[in-house]
Amino acid sequence: MGLWDAFLNWLRSLFFKQEMELSLIGLQNAGKTSLVNVVATGGYSEDMIPTVGFNMRKVTKGSVTIKLWDLGGQPRFRSMWERYCRSVSAIVYVVDAADPDNLSVSKSELHDLLSKTSLNGIPLLVLGNKIDKPGALSKDDLTEEMELKSLTDREVCCFMISCKNSTNIDQVIDWLVKHSKSAS
Amino acid sequence: MAQPFVKKDDDHDDENLKGAEVTIVTDNTMILFMEYSPFMGIEKGAVLQEARVFNDAQVDPRRCSQVITKLLYLLNQGESFTKVEATEVFFSVTKLFQSKDTGLRRMVYLIIKELSPSSDEVIIVTSSLMKDMNSKIDMYRANAIRVLCRIIDGTLLTQIERYLKQAIVDKNPVVSSAALVSGLHLLRTNPEIVKRWSNEVQEGVQSRSALVQFHALALLHLIRQNDRLAVSKLVGSLTRGSVRSPLAQCLLIRYTSQVIRDMSNHGQSGERPFYEFLESCLRHKAEMVILEAARAITELDGVTSRELTPAITVLQLFLSSPKPVLRFAAVRTLNKVSVTHPMAVTNCNIDMESLISDQNRSIATLAITTLLKTGNESSVERLMKQITNFMSDIADEFKIVVVDAIRSLCVKFPLKYRSLMTFLSNILREEGGFEYKRAIVDSIVTIIRDIPDAKEGGLLHLCEFIEDCEFTYLSTQILHFLGIEGPKTSDPSKYIRYIYNRVHLENATVRAAAVSTLAKFGFMVESLKPRITVLLKRCIYDSDDEVRDRATLFLSVLGGDGTLDADKDSKEFMFGSLEAPLANMETSLKNYDPSEEAFDINSVPKEVKSQPLAEKKAQGKKPTGLGAPPAAPASGFEGYERLLSSIPEFAAFGKLFKSSSPVELTEAETEYAVNVVKHIFDNHVVFQYNCTNTIPEQLLERVNVIVDASEAEEFSEVASKALNSLPYDSPGQAFVAFEKPAGVPAVGKFSNTLTFVVKEVDPSTGEAEDDGVEDEYQLEDLEVVSSDYMVKVSVSNFRNAWESMNEGDEHVDEYGLGQRESLGEAIKAVIDLLGMQPCEGTETVPSNARSHTCLLSGVYIGNVKVLVRAQFGMDSSKEIAMKLAVRAEDASVAEAIHEIVANG
Repeated sequence: MGLWDAFLNWLRSLFFKQEMELSLIGLQNAGKTSLVNVVATGGYSEDMIPTVGFNMRKVTKGSVTIKLWDLGGQPRFRSMWERYCRSVSAIVYVVDAADPDNLSVSKSELHDLLSKTSLNGIPLLVLGNKIDKPGALSKDDLTEEMELKSLTDREVCCFMISCKNSTNIDQVIDWLVKHSKSAS
Repeated sequence: MAQPFVKKDDDHDDENLKGAEVTIVTDNTMILFMEYSPFMGIEKGAVLQEARVFNDAQVDPRRCSQVITKLLYLLNQGESFTKVEATEVFFSVTKLFQSKDTGLRRMVYLIIKELSPSSDEVIIVTSSLMKDMNSKIDMYRANAIRVLCRIIDGTLLTQIERYLKQAIVDKNPVVSSAALVSGLHLLRTNPEIVKRWSNEVQEGVQSRSALVQFHALALLHLIRQNDRLAVSKLVGSLTRGSVRSPLAQCLLIRYTSQVIRDMSNHGQSGERPFYEFLESCLRHKAEMVILEAARAITELDGVTSRELTPAITVLQLFLSSPKPVLRFAAVRTLNKVSVTHPMAVTNCNIDMESLISDQNRSIATLAITTLLKTGNESSVERLMKQITNFMSDIADEFKIVVVDAIRSLCVKFPLKYRSLMTFLSNILREEGGFEYKRAIVDSIVTIIRDIPDAKEGGLLHLCEFIEDCEFTYLSTQILHFLGIEGPKTSDPSKYIRYIYNRVHLENATVRAAAVSTLAKFGFMVESLKPRITVLLKRCIYDSDDEVRDRATLFLSVLGGDGTLDADKDSKEFMFGSLEAPLANMETSLKNYDPSEEAFDINSVPKEVKSQPLAEKKAQGKKPTGLGAPPAAPASGFEGYERLLSSIPEFAAFGKLFKSSSPVELTEAETEYAVNVVKHIFDNHVVFQYNCTNTIPEQLLERVNVIVDASEAEEFSEVASKALNSLPYDSPGQAFVAFEKPAGVPAVGKFSNTLTFVVKEVDPSTGEAEDDGVEDEYQLEDLEVVSSDYMVKVSVSNFRNAWESMNEGDEHVDEYGLGQRESLGEAIKAVIDLLGMQPCEGTETVPSNARSHTCLLSGVYIGNVKVLVRAQFGMDSSKEIAMKLAVRAEDASVAEAIHEIVANG
């Protein structure tokens, strides 16, 4: 019987397999690559090197396969973000919530990016990272600072997370899985 | 005058016909390609459309690989992508990193390397490549390294340096090789980083894999190339035999010959180091190693015939190889050897004769030109006939080889000039590119210079050539040459028509040159003056400024009042050469600020800038023909003559008889480089010390040479001229003059000391301190020897010259020269002792000959012509005897020659 079940599961997965593509952006040192590691393996490392270019990761959560384009956040890569955001299922924008100095830059980069017509209507998930640090902003403050209320032409959602302590990571994954579309 | 036009029309018709043929041929090849290439006729636009599949959510590796192949095909066919297209394709290709298909990943690497978009965009793949560089899949590691090193900059390189070091010692040879090759590329941009990898690279040299060893050796040498000692050590340890790869062995041979060259430059005498290694490589399994070794041996400086023999033997074997590439390589090397050692190659003559009919035209050309160099007078005509047959079948490059061979042949066998000149003028009329035509013209000019009989015919050939010459450069050069040589011929007027035709038919540059040439004729040939004046008057209505200016100028020169003074001035103006080197003139003109003050030509420095070392080495091949200026400004004989007569102390010494070539008085790379030129006058000797200060932090002042002539009793110092100031790297001259008995070939030894005042210079500002320190510097000794009193002058026909001399003045004697290594060595010693010009190629000796006759000619001090016929014989114990017959215009000189030999 076990064999039969396994076969049925396999058959089901063939037909109901979900797939989604995400691009992960945000300023340097916001915690994008850490988030990928946490989502993929649950591991966290303090010692990270800046991403030069992009990392491509595939993560399977339940029946959903997530393709993650984890892009470098340094200024020289920001002009190329748009190319990796076209036709993705959702854009995940990571903000360092404990670094108020860079919030305005982060905000303007985000709004610049979303003004591109090629990205019209793509859902946006803003993640305030590093809430484990003292002095981190609250969700309301972040929403205010990032002027997320002004983004009305798409679905916008905001979570406060900590990659270090894996706070709210489940919520993020749930949200992502909900936005996956059927594989063609 | 209408003739050239008609001819040109013909040419055009021919070209059209050829054009038609060419199109037919390409059509055929198109059909052929269609059958074989699946990509024939694909269009860029369509392929770029297809490239959109890269962006699909589900990647189809097979399809994507195909599209990338098409893109690569287009790029390799020379199709270029616009910036937008390339960027678009590049970014969509980067999306393919999501696929795990190895085949596709390989194509991704290739296309990234090929597209190489701007550096700020390509950096986006860095992270992905760094991941692949540490992948478990060997292919990923190797290729990611290669791509990464193409796109990386210095700061990122330090980040990945340790991975690269690790890759160099990777187990997999493909990975290791990739890292090493990347090192070779990176060394150019980031030398300091790559130099830190020495240990790993050294490990690579010991690798068992041939490929790794080859690349590691190349990189290691490149890292150390500027450290002569390290290279020498590297070669020393590897020649003891741990190199397995034939390619690496070839490299090693190259590095070895470099080391040999460096060592001999530094005067380490004795047995040539590493020769045995080169010789042992001649017995290597791999043909390429054998060839490389043979080439290296033939290119050794001052290679002896004993050293050459084994190399020539293996090359001879290759001549009859069934592989065309080996035959080609062998005959090409032999061809080069035949220039310097014609006798060594004669053994291969039979093998080369059979190569004349080789199907490969390049091999045949090289064979025949080698034969021309090694053959004797009687075979010239036969060989020329064979060359004529296949001249049209070979490429320009090889035609130049043939022309060069013919030039040297003509110098060697002056009696054959007529048939050789006919050949040259025939090929000059045929189609050909610039380099080829220039080689022919240069050859004709050389022949005209060396063989007076050939002058008139040769000039006419050149005249005919400029009637239909498409190369402005050649036309102007020939016109200039005509202006110098033409007026001295028996009937100068016949050249005028050709020259004046240029004024009508050519572009402005040639017209201006023609005007100058006309003026020279008018100036030199009194009878032509009125006619030339008429022609020049017509030129003042020319449409070009320069042509009009020249015509007007020359008209006024020609119309001068004819007084002696004015004549001298205008002669100096028309025929004199610029005293200062052109390069100095150019810099002075560039530095000149247009102001009230006129540019003063006397302010141009006259010293020749010292040439960089590399250039000095390359000087072995002296420019001849048109390319060579008639007299190099400050080093040629005329240059010296002008220089010395401009110094008041020496002006009264009379006419300069001979200037020796510079003799180095210091080792290379010492603080101060000094060489000396000996100028011989009838009653005096002047030493010209050319000094160079190689220390940027020093300025030398009051530079003088103190000469101790205690070992030269017949000489007494009469004058010296110190050098006021000697800044860094700009050569200067100090002079010392001696009086000696008139007409006597006085010899002696002089010891020299350089004295000067040193002043420190601040390198940043270039300003010297006020106080200096007196110092002196010991130079090597200098000798005046009997050959300094002999000028090398060649005669075109030795027999005629010999017989025209009075037989009664002949002076014959016999000498024993003792034991010598070979006949050639003895002959060279005698030639060096006498300082005379060997004639008709008699200075070279067949390798196994036991007797030989050498013909020498020269002019002895007092302008006495001397001819020498020296017969050499060698017995079984290598004792050499010489019978010396001397004929001279003055019997006492003939005796003097014998005295030189007796004392030498």
